Amino acid sequence: MALPRFQYHEPTSLAEACQMLRALGKEAALLAGGTDLLVKMKNRELLPKSVVSLMEIDEMRQFNFSGKGKSIGACCTVSQIAESAQIRTTFPALASAAGHLGSPAVRNLGTIGGNAVTASPAADLPPALIAYGAKARLKREGQERVLPLEQLFRGPGATNIGVDEILVDFQLEQPPEGSVAEYFKLGHRRALQCSIINGACFLALNHRSGVIEAARVVLGAVAPTVVRAVSTERILTGERPSSKLFLEAGKAAARECTPIDDLRGSADYRRDMIQVLTTRTLQNAVEKSRNHFARV
Amino acid sequence: MKKTIHLSINRSAYTVDVEPHWTLLDLLRDELGLPGTKRGCDKGDCGTCTVLVDGKPVNACLYLAVRANRKKILTVEGLETGEGLHPLQKSFLKNGAVQCGFCTPGMLMTSVSLLEKNPDPTEEEVRSAISGNLCRCTGYQHIVEAVMSVKEKK
Repeated sequence: MALPRFQYHEPTSLAEACQMLRALGKEAALLAGGTDLLVKMKNRELLPKSVVSLMEIDEMRQFNFSGKGKSIGACCTVSQIAESAQIRTTFPALASAAGHLGSPAVRNLGTIGGNAVTASPAADLPPALIAYGAKARLKREGQERVLPLEQLFRGPGATNIGVDEILVDFQLEQPPEGSVAEYFKLGHRRALQCSIINGACFLALNHRSGVIEAARVVLGAVAPTVVRAVSTERILTGERPSSKLFLEAGKAAARECTPIDDLRGSADYRRDMIQVLTTRTLQNAVEKSRNHFARV
Repeated sequence: MKKTIHLSINRSAYTVDVEPHWTLLDLLRDELGLPGTKRGCDKGDCGTCTVLVDGKPVNACLYLAVRANRKKILTVEGLETGEGLHPLQKSFLKNGAVQCGFCTPGMLMTSVSLLEKNPDPTEEEVRSAISGNLCRCTGYQHIVEAVMSVKEKK
């Protein structure tokens, strides 16, 4: 189906883009990879008068890994994330989530920022980003704010981003020594698949005592937004990893989520799978960390 | 308002005026008379419109033509050279990898890019590379065999 007509703008700097967005207001849609926006426009779900492409803004397409604080530009493509040696080493669960998104051709177009701002509860990258404690940096003309990524989402397809705001990048800190994270996804097939459920777990283990000092458990496709399973995190924190603990954590995660029935799976099935996969993911993560320390 | 773009398609230089709402697929098929690239779902789900942009497979249906400015595009029409069909095309024919043929251009472009990046893929890697290309004749086995047998010849 042909795209509807629109005015096209291609700013080459963030300042220029902010200025345009302020001038155009609600009439404008921001374009990154186009794998969601252009489909919605073809379906006539969105009919923006203007489209502002962010893909010619160099600073939005780069990683910055030089200091302790790292940043990933919102217009980095999903394949850039999946294939980057730096991301695979520092944030392996994020690289793994990126490798699960869509298909190879879609990953070459779609961006990490786009995957967040479409605010799908089943999106692949936000659970991994939130597990690593990522913050989103938003910019409007003359103003900037940074918020934990989980606070960006309001509901399916809805975010707290203002009409004149641009999601510029994700800010992450180097995970502490001894921490591990894992992404999980359950789908009907391995490509072009919207998740039945997905999620990510992060554990920071004290390398002397082995105690879990911090835990983040993030669940997708089981609530109106990607959610943190806060009471599950509380159960894990301060404890030593064990099969019993992880079984309990899995059960808590299943209690914490509020899935719905849809064509991909029933609420009951989702709840059961959250329990199984949370337990399994925590187990895998800890095993990985043990192997890591055995090597050191 | 139309915008002038300069690009290379199948090793030839083009200068074209494009409308902002044209996709690369619209440009190739409807404006430049290159219908080898197929229009399937037109929403990035089926992969039959896959072309290479600077060597990387992308869904031409989700790629605005204006973005192709200064890019190198390779479509299925560009696989054949003066020496005849591309080895992968010959292998598709020999292995019976073409049934109705509608997915073939996308399958070929995706596989060409895979072999370029990874000349010795495992069967699993071939299957994963073509995971975004749907064949509704479900002839995947022959397609995988065709790609694997080109690899073996190399």
